[in-house]
Amino acid sequence: MVPLNWYLTLGAVVFMIGVFGFLTRRNIIIMFMSVELMLNGVNISLISLSHFLQDLRGQILVFFIITVAAAEAAIGLAIIIALFRNKSTIHVDEMSEMKG
Amino acid sequence: MPSDYLPILMFMMVATAFGMGALILGEIFRIKRSYPEKLMPYESGNPPVGEPRMRFSVKFYIIAMLFVVFDVEAVFLYPWAIVFDKIGFYAFIEMIIFIVILFVGYIYAWKKEAFTWD
Amino acid sequence: MLPKLFFGYYAVVITFLSVLIITRKNPVHSVMWMLLLFFHIAGLYLFLNAEFIAAIQVIVYAGAILVLFLFVVLLLNLREELQVKRFVGSWPAGLIIAAGMLAIVVNVIKSFTAAPRGIYSIEYIKNATHTKALGQVLYTEYLFPFEIASLILLVAIIGAIVLAKRKLRS
Repeated sequence: MVPLNWYLTLGAVVFMIGVFGFLTRRNIIIMFMSVELMLNGVNISLISLSHFLQDLRGQILVFFIITVAAAEAAIGLAIIIALFRNKSTIHVDEMSEMKG
Repeated sequence: MPSDYLPILMFMMVATAFGMGALILGEIFRIKRSYPEKLMPYESGNPPVGEPRMRFSVKFYIIAMLFVVFDVEAVFLYPWAIVFDKIGFYAFIEMIIFIVILFVGYIYAWKKEAFTWD
Repeated sequence: MLPKLFFGYYAVVITFLSVLIITRKNPVHSVMWMLLLFFHIAGLYLFLNAEFIAAIQVIVYAGAILVLFLFVVLLLNLREELQVKRFVGSWPAGLIIAAGMLAIVVNVIKSFTAAPRGIYSIEYIKNATHTKALGQVLYTEYLFPFEIASLILLVAIIGAIVLAKRKLRS
């Protein structure tokens, strides 16, 4: 039997790798993939908690998270396309119009 | 239960081993005698012109996005179909509401000519 | 021993693939590593007796969302991406933030105390089959969130078409 802490630690590690990627990559598509990575880290924690506490609510939550992730990917990638059309760059550090 | 999926695991291992084994064996045994003309992409004998990678049209994105959304809808239908006989008419009403709301989006996409390919 | 060995394999591969995803230069390579990552996560879910969730992980994430990512990467076709630098100038700050948060979370996990166990034991799920047990909860107890999910998907359709589609004949 694998202890619960191991699963939670794995979820935390995947989440933090996502945080690192989101904060440091210049390419906005990879930043977006880091967000998906963070969601997956949370999903690992929820499924393992649901298994160990013998409660299905965690899995229902994962179900809705996957639904929201699909909607988020559709909208976010559409925003990236619109951004690329207007600015013809996808590097976040080159977008500085709001800087005073 | 995890042990029920052992055949799938073995299947995936065999498939991976076969695919990688074929590539590795080919890499070991094939004769490597290449020159620039041989490495060029084949375009019926003419020298290739322009970039091989062309930009995709945004129409592909719209279709893929609609696929994602209706894929999620289909995923919601599987457990519904399984528990339908237990919950009964009540479940039928819920799913009708769900599908009607998504049907509004379908009509919107249709009116915006997201399905026409020109 | 065998379960721990399996978990060790999954943990090492998932961590390694996550690092690969955020460090590759070519976005297409990132998407491909992410495909492998999602299959491994689905395997982990099977290991935790969540068969249906593993199936939708493969169907929705690996089958649909990654196709969307791949289309956008090909749509933008970034040739210059292979020459420019990958990280922003202040990447050590990001590393410190992520590492600090990881240290905090791992320390918090140690003091985790379990709540009393629910009624959905492994035997219950085995008798009822996982999809049936999940559907029973989803369509009775979580009816309202389920209807809200359809609204979120509606917003996704309308928003994506408004943002991505060019103006018609103008």
